[in-house]
Amino acid sequence: MAAARVLEVDHVSKRYGDLVAVDDLSLDVRAGELFGFVGRNGAGKTTTMRIVLGVLAPDSGSVRWLGGPLTFEARRRFGYMPEERGLYPKMHVAEQLAYLGQLHGLPGAQARAAARTWLERFGLADRGDAELQALSLGNQQRVQLAAALVFGPDVLVLDEPFAGLDPVAVDVMAEVLREQADAGVPVIFSSHELELVERLCDRVGIVDRGRMIASGTVAELRTGGQERRWIDAPGAPAAWQPGLPGVRQVQLDGTRRLFELDPGVDDQALLRAALATGPVREFERVEPTLGEIFRTAIEERAA
Amino acid sequence: MSTEPPGPRRTGGLPTTVLVARREALMRLRSRVFLGGTTVMTVFVVVGIVAASLLAAKTTPVRIGFSGGSQALEGTFRATAAAYGTDVIVSDIADLGAGTAQVTAGTLDVLVTGSATAPTAVAKAAIPADVESALSLATEAERLYDAGLSPAAITSAMAPVPVQLLAPPSHKDNQNFFAGLAVGILLWIALGIYGSQVAQGVVEEKATRIMEILLATIPPSRLLAGKVIGIGLVGLLQLTIVGGAALVAVHITNVAAIPALGPAGVLGDIVWFVLGFLFYATAYAAVASLVSRQEEVQSAIAPISVFQIAGYLLMYAALPDPSGPLATVGSLLPPFAPILMAVRMAASDVRSWQVGLAIVLTVASIIGLTWLAGRMYTNAALHLGARVRFIDAFRG
Repeated sequence: MAAARVLEVDHVSKRYGDLVAVDDLSLDVRAGELFGFVGRNGAGKTTTMRIVLGVLAPDSGSVRWLGGPLTFEARRRFGYMPEERGLYPKMHVAEQLAYLGQLHGLPGAQARAAARTWLERFGLADRGDAELQALSLGNQQRVQLAAALVFGPDVLVLDEPFAGLDPVAVDVMAEVLREQADAGVPVIFSSHELELVERLCDRVGIVDRGRMIASGTVAELRTGGQERRWIDAPGAPAAWQPGLPGVRQVQLDGTRRLFELDPGVDDQALLRAALATGPVREFERVEPTLGEIFRTAIEERAA
Repeated sequence: MSTEPPGPRRTGGLPTTVLVARREALMRLRSRVFLGGTTVMTVFVVVGIVAASLLAAKTTPVRIGFSGGSQALEGTFRATAAAYGTDVIVSDIADLGAGTAQVTAGTLDVLVTGSATAPTAVAKAAIPADVESALSLATEAERLYDAGLSPAAITSAMAPVPVQLLAPPSHKDNQNFFAGLAVGILLWIALGIYGSQVAQGVVEEKATRIMEILLATIPPSRLLAGKVIGIGLVGLLQLTIVGGAALVAVHITNVAAIPALGPAGVLGDIVWFVLGFLFYATAYAAVASLVSRQEEVQSAIAPISVFQIAGYLLMYAALPDPSGPLATVGSLLPPFAPILMAVRMAASDVRSWQVGLAIVLTVASIIGLTWLAGRMYTNAALHLGARVRFIDAFRG
C-alpha cells in the first residue's frame, strides 16, 4: 500500500466555554501498533477519541487517515468503544451485533456469521438469543467490545476497554487487541491501568490538561529521566553516603539502598564508592515504571 | 475472529437508513404492544360498523302486494314510492285470503285490495306514511284518468310544488357524522401512539448511550430518517389492517353509502395519516432529542402535544358544521389539517382546492420541520445529562 496506514491527530483543539478540553494535541498511531493513551480523569482523552470518531467536531486541527483527510466512509470502518457504554438493552445479543456489523457496511449473512464468531471468541456463544439486559455487566462489556470488532475494523479506538473487566476478561481483551494490532490495525486505547499499558503498548502518550506532554515507546520515555540503582552493601555503616555530586539516596531497606542519579552521572563511580565500604552483593539498575514516568511528567508540568 | 485483512474496501449491504428503519419496524412488529393495539383498534372499528348497520336496519324495503283491480296501480305506485325515496318490493297477490294471511304472519307488510279507483290498504298494525302517500297519489292519478284527463294533463295537474332552498345543507347526516368522528378519533390515536414512539425511541438511544456508537457510524439525519420511516411503516401497516377490516365489515354488513368507509375514503385517511405522522414524528423527534431520560419525554413533547390536543378539540367543534369557517380554516393549518381535513372529508364534501391547499401547506411545513429537527437532533443528540435548551440545540 502506497499510503502509510497511519491515523494522525493533527494539532487538534477543543474548548467548552472557558474550559480547554484539548489543547493543540497531536498524535499518530501506525499500522500494527498498540497506542496507549494515559492521563488523569478530565485530561482530554475521551474528547480526543470522540473527535477521532467524528462524534465531536474540533475547534481547530484535523484528523488524518492514510495520509489524507478522514472521510465519513473511512470513519465508518473504525471500531469504537465509547467511555459511556451503550447498546440496546432489549435487543437480542447476536441480532444486535449483526445489526451493528451491517451499519458498518457488512452484508447481512456476513454480519450474522461475524457476530457468531465473536460471541464464541468471548465465550458467549450460548447467549446469542438472550436480551442484552439479561447478561451480567462483565458480559455486556464483552458484547460491547465485540460490537467494535464485529465488522473487522480498519482502526480501533477504545475508551477504557479494561475498566470493569475481571482478570480473565482482561487477558482475553489484551490478547484480542494484540492480535488486531499484529494484523495491521492501528489500535488506540485509553486506560488507567498503567502496568497493563506498559506491558501491552508499543507506544504511549501521556496527556495532561488537554496537552500531550510526552509520547513514545516506554523506553524512549525513560531516557532523559532519573536513573536509579539498588545497592546492597552490608559492610557500609547506616549513615554511609557515597559523597558524589548528582547522587541522592532515596530509600533504605535494611542493608539495601536505592539511589537516584541525575542524567549523565556515571553509575560506575557509585559502584566504586560502594565497593570501598566492603562487599557489594547487589547492584541493580531500576527502570522507572510507566506509573513513575507518568507522575514525574505531570509533576514537572505542574512545576 | 475476522480473518479478512484490514484495509479500506467497498462497503456492501443495505443503505444505513434502510437498516435503521428495518430494525425499528422489526422490533415493534414483534412487540405485544403492536399485536394488542391492532386487535383493540380493529375490534373498535368493526363493532362500530356493525352497530351502524344495526341502526340503519330500520330502512328495510316495504313489501306490498296488490290483488285484483288494484294491480293497475302498481306502475304508478312504484314510480311515486321511488320519488319519495322509499324502498318497496311489489308483488301480485292472486288469492285474497292467502294475502291476508301473509300480512297477519308478517311476511307481507301491506296488502292492497279493491279496484284501482277505490282500493283498500290492509296492514297489520301500521302503514308507513310514505307508502300511504304514494298509494294515495297513485289512486288520485287513476281517478283523474278515469274522469277522462289525458296522461299529460294528469302529470301537470299532479306536478309537485317546486322548492327553492336558499342555504342547502351539504350531504351530512348521522352516518357521516359518526364516520367523521370515527376517522378523527382513530387518526388522533394513531398519530399519538406513533408520534410518541418516535420520541421514546430517540430518548431510548440517548438514555442507553448507544447514540454515541450510532453517530460514530451514520449521520444523524439518516438515523432520524430511518427511525421515523420505520415507525411510520408500522403505523401504516396497523392502519391498513384496521382499514381493511373496516372495508370487509362494511361489505359484509352492507352499510353502503358511507363514503368515508369506501376505498377512496380509506385511502384519503391513510394519506392524512402519513402526512400527519411525518409532521408530528419529526417535531417529536426534535424536542425529544433535548432530554436524556425516559421520565422527561412527556414534559419534553408537551409543547407539541398541545397542538395535537387542540386539533382533537377542534374536531368536535368542527364536526357539527364541517363546511363552516372554523372547520375550513382549521383544516387548512398544518398542525390540525391531518385530523380536521380527514374528518371534513369523511363528514361532508370538501372543495378540492381546499384539500390541495391543505396538502401543500402540510408538506411544506414537514420539509421545514425536517430541516429544523435534523439540526436540533444533530446538536443535542450527544448532550447527555441535563436537558438541552431549545435555543442551544438550534444554534449548535
